[in-house]
Amino acid sequence: MSSSSSSSQSPLRVKKVVVITTAMLTFIPFWKAAAIVLCDFGSSAFYAGGIAMRAFGPAFPWYILAVMLFAGLLLMLELEACSLFVRGGAYKIVREGLGDRMAKLAASALVFDFLLTGPISAVTAGHYLGGLVNSFLTQFGASFHLPEGGFAVVFGLLVTGYFWRQNVKGIEESSSKSAKIIAFSLAVCFLLAIWSFITIALQGAHIPPTQLDFAPGALGWAGKIDWMKAVGLLGMMMAFGHSILALSGIETLSQVYREIEYPKAQNLKKAALLIFIFALLFTGGLTFLSAVIIPPDLIASKYGDNLLSGLAMSMAGPGLLKLLMQTLVVVAGVVMLSGAVNTSLIGSNALMNRIAEDGILTDWFRKIHRKYGTTYHVIHLIAALQAVIIIVSGGNVYLLGEAYAFGVMWCFVLEAAAIIALRLKRRGEKRDFLFPLNIRYENFYIPVGLGLLSLFLLSIAVVNLFTKSIATVAGISFTVFLYAVFTLSERLNAKKANTMFEEGYRERVNAQTALDLKDALDDLSQPNRVLVAVKTPEHLYHLEETLRTVNPDDTDVIVLYSKPVENLLYRQDMRSAAVDEHELFTQVIFLAEKYGLPITPVMVQSNDAFYAIAQVAAVADAKEIIMGVSGLHGAQTQMERIVMAWGAVKERELKHPVKVRILWEGREISYGFTN
Amino acid sequence: MSVKEHKFNLGSLLSPAKILVEKESVTKTALIKKLIDAVCQGEPKLDGADILAQVLKREEGISTTLDTGLSIPHARLEEITDFKAALAVLPSPVQDPVNPNLSIKAMFLFLSPAKPVFFQKHLQILSSLAETFKPEFIDELIALGEPAQIFARLEGQR
Repeated sequence: MSSSSSSSQSPLRVKKVVVITTAMLTFIPFWKAAAIVLCDFGSSAFYAGGIAMRAFGPAFPWYILAVMLFAGLLLMLELEACSLFVRGGAYKIVREGLGDRMAKLAASALVFDFLLTGPISAVTAGHYLGGLVNSFLTQFGASFHLPEGGFAVVFGLLVTGYFWRQNVKGIEESSSKSAKIIAFSLAVCFLLAIWSFITIALQGAHIPPTQLDFAPGALGWAGKIDWMKAVGLLGMMMAFGHSILALSGIETLSQVYREIEYPKAQNLKKAALLIFIFALLFTGGLTFLSAVIIPPDLIASKYGDNLLSGLAMSMAGPGLLKLLMQTLVVVAGVVMLSGAVNTSLIGSNALMNRIAEDGILTDWFRKIHRKYGTTYHVIHLIAALQAVIIIVSGGNVYLLGEAYAFGVMWCFVLEAAAIIALRLKRRGEKRDFLFPLNIRYENFYIPVGLGLLSLFLLSIAVVNLFTKSIATVAGISFTVFLYAVFTLSERLNAKKANTMFEEGYRERVNAQTALDLKDALDDLSQPNRVLVAVKTPEHLYHLEETLRTVNPDDTDVIVLYSKPVENLLYRQDMRSAAVDEHELFTQVIFLAEKYGLPITPVMVQSNDAFYAIAQVAAVADAKEIIMGVSGLHGAQTQMERIVMAWGAVKERELKHPVKVRILWEGREISYGFTN
Repeated sequence: MSVKEHKFNLGSLLSPAKILVEKESVTKTALIKKLIDAVCQGEPKLDGADILAQVLKREEGISTTLDTGLSIPHARLEEITDFKAALAVLPSPVQDPVNPNLSIKAMFLFLSPAKPVFFQKHLQILSSLAETFKPEFIDELIALGEPAQIFARLEGQR
């Protein structure tokens, strides 16, 4: 068969071919997904230890290590959250589980933390770079030094400005670049670790103490409350709360989940394991080695803002070699921390977009850039606020660290509570992953482990309210302000009865007209092809069934929408049956993401969907044609028409049998074409 | 590797008496009625009016007219146990009432037993008809002009 039919002028044949492309149909292996998360999450290794040291003294590496072990539990929480496949991360999970108000609170708190992760990362990168320049100046006997705080502010503004521009242009995060950054950082980590062990062997080691020595400011209001003594279990919880900022970026996993390739659930688990091991060794391990090798007073006086540079410069060995090691650390630090600045902008923009889709934000926030198609008002706003925070901080990483972690803690508290609520609400639903420690009662898994985790998270969040007074005041003020903005905007939208917001999430897709069907299907590369015909976003059972069972290693999946045009067919004007292809393909892409399988979406304009299906299947040399059942006509009538259309467009002998399947819940009818 | 050919023999469903060469101008419904009459000839158990109602009901669903000039009105009937058919060729094409852009130059009416076991063969017949009755073939049948010659040509399709 061929596309160049003798009946190409026929009113029933395909009129126009459109190829749909989107960045979201490119799926990545688990290690690349892990690399994206680690570029953000791993970057806290460069500042968490120094901030914790200033807050509660030399016992800090134990707590950073504990937080990294705790990250394992939070990654499992994210695994269960991702297995629900509620697109939109923690905000949508909380909305599903606890309702709109709690979701708005979670989103407000999370935006506050996104506003801080950018500045804390950018300023820390500035400190590392400034510290390196000063090390060179010292090495070569210069009489002056850079003012590190001022330099960090300028560098932070430059990095934020650069990524603000990139985000306005809509340049996507590159998973390959992230993987290279993580590979380089891992090599630097390995070198640092080896050299650290040699240094310990030569110079001996001092095991960090476990007793806590809180700085007066680090106790916040707790210092004025008699019963809140920084000793025992309460003291440990206070120290843990001050170290929790090492978790910064862990929430990125829920953002990259949609990009992970098939088999999604297994790959997500592998990515989580890789993230956990890397974070434990990189952040936990290097922070611990820093405390073992660098004298505590030197950390406090010189390396509080660039701890890992301090580790490099405290090694046993010649000065130039140490300077080279510091250079490698700084390069790794600057690229990872800069990546975290980018992720904070991407994350906050994505979060604000999810909120806008729910009708909570006014048109102003959703305004699309004419040239780049990005929500540039949100990006401008976030970048401007981050720039103000950088300037106000004066380059003080500790101050930024003290303000941080309000949002991430409360967001995790709400997310854990929402997942518990969803266990109850969706109790019959099969999940790829359940947070451990459950008691099964009929089809309900009583979430004992999740309950304990929630209690622990809540305890730390409450303790932090007292001890991290800057975070509490700034976090609550900002959260209340943003919550008020959300509520007010939502009411304004409701008054305007703005139907735009009722559309829900729309995938950004490019639609390009192809010369003909052959041109549109040129990129198919697998030996087997399956054509799935779709009609409405609500009826995609057959597509999901196909994605669930297809072998992506040898099969291309073509998803075809035949948009009705022009003529009257079937005794009704088919134009009225046309759906918004944007909405349809958004749902199609959602399913492709759910299973992590690439698909080839194609839209054709035709007066007869069955002719279009037959024509596309013929040109694609498909072995299977899969359709959903029509409520209007029924499966048997559909099957009759597709076999007629197939016969009409067939122009040459088949190379292989072709099977037509019409699927609906638990049922199927099929027919096999031979010659 | 090419799949072995086993096309359905359409001639086995017909006889010269069940082939009409319709030279008069006629509507699609009237033509269907004529073909049903041809099928029912010598079949006292078949109720022509009931069959017409069922065929027309099926015509209200997805169209049975193809852009090749073939129309395949059909129905699946409880009261029959084997396939029955009649063919009309139209030297003066009839406009399809649903889609006026389509002209009907040949109409193959066929009736299938309603039992599920016959559904695959029912589909096979539809597919074979659509594949066989391409514009050139329909023009050839029209040119033959006589039921006996048309029947012989269809027999030769085997």
